[in-house]
Amino acid sequence: MKFYYTPTYGCGLLLTILLFFAGQVWSQQEYTLTGNVTDTTGLAIPGVHVQRLGTLTGSTTNFEGDYSIKVRANDSLKFSYLGFKTKIIPVNHQTKINLQLFPNEETLQEVVINAGYYTTTERERTGNIAKVTAKDIELQPVVSPLQALQGRMAGVEVTPGNHLPGAAPTIRIRGQNSLRAEGNYPLYIIDGMPFNSSPIESNSTLGFTGIDPLSTINPANIESIEVLKDADATAIYGSRGANGVILITTKQGSSGETSIQARISTGFSEVPNRIELLNTNDYLKVRQRAFENDGIEPNENNAYDLLVWDQNRETDWQEEFFGGHAEFTQANIFIAGGSPTTRYRINGSYLKQGSVYPGGANYHKATGSAQLNHNSKDDKFSVDMALTYGVDNNHTVGIGSLIPQVYSLAPNAPNIFNEDGSLHWEEWSEVGRENPFQGYLNTSDIKTNNMLANLNLSYRLFEGLKLSSNFGYTHLNSDELTKRPKESYNPEYGEFIDHESAHLQGQRASWIIEPQLSYQKNIGRLRLKALAGTTLQEQLNRQTGVTGTGYATRSMIGNLAAATSLSRGIHQETTYRYMAFFSRLGIDWDKKYFINLTGRRDGSSRFGPNKRFANFGAIGAAWIFSDEKWIAKQLPWLSFGKLRGSYGSTGNDQIGDYGYLDTYEATQGPGGLYPTRLANPSYSWEVNKKLEVAVQLGFLKDHLHLNISYYKNRSSNQLVGYSLPNITGFNSVQANLPATVENSGWEIETNAKIFSTKNWKWQSAFNFTLPKNELLSYPNLKQSSYANTYKVGEPLNIAMLYQYEGIDPETSYYQITDVNEDGRLDYEDRVITKDRNPEFYGGWQNTLQYKNFNLQFLFQFAKKEGEFALFDAGRVGAQRQEDYLGLEGDRFQHISTQLDATRAYNQVTQTALPYTDASYIRLKTLSLRYSLPVTYLQKIGIKNCSVFVHGKNLFTLTQYRGMDPELAIGQGTAFGALRTFTTGIEINF
Amino acid sequence: MKLYKKISFLLFLCFLGSSCEDFVEVEAPDHQLPVAVVFENEETARSAMLGIYYQLFRSAAFSNGHTSSVTALTGLSAGTLTPVDATNTVFTEFLQHEVLPQNPNNLNLWSSAYQTVYMVNSFLEGLEASVAIPEELASQLRGEALFIRGFTYFYLKQLYGKAPLILTSDYRLNASAASTTPEEIHIQILADLQTAENLLSDAYPQQERTTVNRYVVKALLARIALYEQNWETALQYSNEVIAQTALYGLEENVNNVFLANSQEAIWQISPLGGGNSTTNTHEWTIFSSAFPQLRLTEGFENNFETGDLRKEYWIEQHPENNTYRPFKYKAGNTGSAITEYSMVFRLAEQYFIRAEAQAQLGNMAAAIADIDYIRARAGIFLIAQTQPNITVEAFLTLLLEERQRELFAEWGHRWLDLWRTQNAALVFSGSPFWKPTDELYPIPEDERIKNPNLTQNPGY
Repeated sequence: MKFYYTPTYGCGLLLTILLFFAGQVWSQQEYTLTGNVTDTTGLAIPGVHVQRLGTLTGSTTNFEGDYSIKVRANDSLKFSYLGFKTKIIPVNHQTKINLQLFPNEETLQEVVINAGYYTTTERERTGNIAKVTAKDIELQPVVSPLQALQGRMAGVEVTPGNHLPGAAPTIRIRGQNSLRAEGNYPLYIIDGMPFNSSPIESNSTLGFTGIDPLSTINPANIESIEVLKDADATAIYGSRGANGVILITTKQGSSGETSIQARISTGFSEVPNRIELLNTNDYLKVRQRAFENDGIEPNENNAYDLLVWDQNRETDWQEEFFGGHAEFTQANIFIAGGSPTTRYRINGSYLKQGSVYPGGANYHKATGSAQLNHNSKDDKFSVDMALTYGVDNNHTVGIGSLIPQVYSLAPNAPNIFNEDGSLHWEEWSEVGRENPFQGYLNTSDIKTNNMLANLNLSYRLFEGLKLSSNFGYTHLNSDELTKRPKESYNPEYGEFIDHESAHLQGQRASWIIEPQLSYQKNIGRLRLKALAGTTLQEQLNRQTGVTGTGYATRSMIGNLAAATSLSRGIHQETTYRYMAFFSRLGIDWDKKYFINLTGRRDGSSRFGPNKRFANFGAIGAAWIFSDEKWIAKQLPWLSFGKLRGSYGSTGNDQIGDYGYLDTYEATQGPGGLYPTRLANPSYSWEVNKKLEVAVQLGFLKDHLHLNISYYKNRSSNQLVGYSLPNITGFNSVQANLPATVENSGWEIETNAKIFSTKNWKWQSAFNFTLPKNELLSYPNLKQSSYANTYKVGEPLNIAMLYQYEGIDPETSYYQITDVNEDGRLDYEDRVITKDRNPEFYGGWQNTLQYKNFNLQFLFQFAKKEGEFALFDAGRVGAQRQEDYLGLEGDRFQHISTQLDATRAYNQVTQTALPYTDASYIRLKTLSLRYSLPVTYLQKIGIKNCSVFVHGKNLFTLTQYRGMDPELAIGQGTAFGALRTFTTGIEINF
Repeated sequence: MKLYKKISFLLFLCFLGSSCEDFVEVEAPDHQLPVAVVFENEETARSAMLGIYYQLFRSAAFSNGHTSSVTALTGLSAGTLTPVDATNTVFTEFLQHEVLPQNPNNLNLWSSAYQTVYMVNSFLEGLEASVAIPEELASQLRGEALFIRGFTYFYLKQLYGKAPLILTSDYRLNASAASTTPEEIHIQILADLQTAENLLSDAYPQQERTTVNRYVVKALLARIALYEQNWETALQYSNEVIAQTALYGLEENVNNVFLANSQEAIWQISPLGGGNSTTNTHEWTIFSSAFPQLRLTEGFENNFETGDLRKEYWIEQHPENNTYRPFKYKAGNTGSAITEYSMVFRLAEQYFIRAEAQAQLGNMAAAIADIDYIRARAGIFLIAQTQPNITVEAFLTLLLEERQRELFAEWGHRWLDLWRTQNAALVFSGSPFWKPTDELYPIPEDERIKNPNLTQNPGY
């Protein structure tokens, strides 16, 4: 460094600068230049930043769009305003410059795509990267940003965990690669920071899929979400790219006048569907018939619904439990602005969502964020900083999902709740039953705090060579308190039950440092882009928990100081470390032929000492053939044509930490230790080799775009629990198995500007995915613990079913085939396989604009089969409409209360009989926005203002008779999509 | 500019700093101790032994007294116990001597016994490799662990006959281990127990009778000698145990027998292994809780003579129907302190062993005296008074009945007694599915699929 301080060098530099400035001054005189800025319709644009290029001096236009600025004759002026294309105009001795700014509508080709470590454009990309931007996400009444992706991208499947806010959705990019359900999460990167995507553990009703770690991110603060799919795009993420990568970029500040935006919306959600159920009269008829058929005299034990319970009482249990409206309120405000060298953005948001259930479950979330960007005047140095913080509080009630229970209540069953909201017991106890909703008064409060801090420093050493480093820190804290008061349970067991509280605390902290060196060079028509970098990352997970019992009163529950005994202590702390070297070389010739090489060497602490490092890499290539003269001549209607392809390998290290270590851990009893597992020091990564070929076409001057991709990914070296006989002490050991899973398919995306006139605009995008998933091989599958789950030659997501024979003429019950005739029904008799994956799925997205009105809607569709196992008849509480049909004809088995009938029904639910078509088309979102005329608003100091209404899951076209074709499993009572209406206003100052 | 250059220099340093590959080596987590560390220090080595005792209650299905335990399953086979839910096929298979190789509880029992063997093997290897544990403690721990292994193999041998003899923790070897003959297993059991006998001292290592001292080993050796009809040895070992009057004595009150650390207890398993919140034995859960799974077979109550205190206090009539259930364990999960431990070895059995050995050796007076200790406690007539001149055969028959009355629903005594005394054929001949090969349970099918070297027992 000393070198730069040497006096001679310093003096010389100073002299040069002085001379330079002197020359400028002598040759120029300052004078005032004025002008007016309008948009293409002739309306004035206030707040346009007018800057003398190369200096910090500037001005802004007033409400009439007028500006004045002191300039010199050979200056250039830069006009910039958010949402418009920036224009640079040389002054050239003029004294008045009026100009028109054009709206910033990038053509699709110009859209900049974030590829993680580098950026590319839609035109030049060699990999498969799908993108959604703020305008698609920000108005949606969703808790998690991932929910906003539903239906918008080919190859990306988002399934809601359940309908409760904060429940983790399942996201699969190009199908399931790993045999282990927990090994299929994509990699989440938020502003360059890897973010642990596995759901947060929970004891609450959200426990089924866990808590979504992204729920504390504010969707309104997201600039774009990019999904990286193929080898070319994901190989630079090496061992973590196998299941795809989701890049979330938050919004940045912009230079120019300070702008403030406030948006508030409010509305409600409701359960959109009901299953047709019997009324009391019909229900009782079915029950009476059952006893007639059985030839059994109903008595108070077996027919309390006929003899004890009120014969005229009728409760619509669906209405009772989820007939309610869940209120929804969302507010978001941001302030942004800055100078040409420093920009900032501060954002705050609040969201509140109620519950459709009785019991006052609710969800609150508040987030705040600050972004600061600075670059030196000469643009050599830049610093970007982002800090986001989110807090949410999820209050849930009950134990597990209560929905299935709602469907097994007789319509004349006694009340569940007393008037004061406590559980009703007397009438249930009378007939020897428990209130089926015992446990409903249990509550869980889950508080999550999430902080993400990110700093990026970069410095251009000399033209083309840039050194930068990314520093990040995340901290997520979740704190769950589950209260189980005595009142939740039958008072008869009073002495055996105690007030109880379960405490669960999770902490995840991680830091990352990623220094990078990038280089760009153009040699004639050859362009070269190179990148090299390293990653150091550490992630700490801690989980602690305890159960407290013996509280004196209900109000004390949760106060551990008041518990008489503490038990079931949990303490786990794991460290995960990860390091990598990555590089990329992008070469193109004449912007026509592209080659992109990416590679990564990864080391992960999750593997044994000699298995920690592995190499991954990919090659991608593209050819813009429409730029070839001979093709352009032949196909004049083709405005754009590109062929591209990629091949490469990625890995998956999503496996528990420390599996290779031979360790002991604490027993439940105090002070003891026991061996944790069989240790295998020699397992390694799952490897996913991905192949893709695609064509991107533009027609009619790029008014119509068509992308078609074919992919074939093979995931092998599967990390599974390798099955062992129990004589080894355990039933499995973690190991790589030469099992191979293949995901292949077609993805089609179109994007069309159907028309665009002065008043009318209509843009439409369509995506379609035809996926195929297959387990290619699995040695010794029959002996593994997956014998009942997977089948070679079939997809992973299957149901292995018995063969249904029809109704046994002797017993009149459903009959199952004992295929191997060994007198038992076991997995060898499960010879029917049902694919639970959709045959195809997609979405159709539209934006219509008429003057100040903007209408957006999105249809989501899928062709698939689903289960609707709802034809049990005769038992207490079996009250589906189908039961009634059983009275006539022979579609269903003989109505009966007998144990054999129940057994036959339970068995037939394990056949293909309950499977029906569950294809659907759903109006996923619809939003209408009206922008108030600007001229009036400006007089009261408002730049613009719009009001909007938004609807989600408004209707679904389907033949499926269960609650939700998207979650068509089991009895068909699960649902994920609530219908939501919101209305709101957005004001920009 | 200078600042920027410094920053760029720092960035470059980041680059250099991150090129060290040992960054991804992480230390073991807080909640898990690497094996080597466990045996580096006395405290943690003791904890590992304590863990084995705990797991006998927590995870070892064969020993924990729950639904896959020796107590429950052999109780069914012996006809002592009956499932409360008559449609429960898993239990019924045992009751009817028609256990299928797929029976899940049979698999549980088998697997948990081998899990215990694994824990012991891992423990012994860790101990062997360690240089940090003082000789005296190492001997004692080794003795305790060897006993647990001998004890576990005793039941594996009795219930399955041919079973693989696993003596290492290496799964690569064990995964394909072949079945071993009962004779080889027997030799290993004796080797383990005799070593343990020499290594252990008189005192219970942790005071509590849930740990193993020398007399626990002798109690099992006495039983094994009896099963082997090695009367002198049986006499000698039972004598040695009974002679420890400072440690052991018959509880005068039958209600005190199953209490934690009772005078009569030689070895017990504590519910503490289930964690702080468990305060009851699993026997209480499956027999006496609000949702019992097993009860006594109809007519069992008729085995008792009138006035037998054991009928009054050790069995209980269900308030609604006429069935009886075992009621040796009375303490439910009350949240308060643990008052009862699950009994494994107790002094009464040693009296029975000595009585039988004496009778076989022709010392009838001593034999009658021993059995009368038990009868006196139960409040019924003494043999010395009613039949002082009883023949050996009649005495042995009476002894078998007395054992049933005393030891019912404890660790399968009845089932093992009937086979070792060749009485099974007589007792079970009325059972429709009974075959002479039913002495041994089937080797679980799952295990044979995963390890084809395991041979199935005859009759399955």
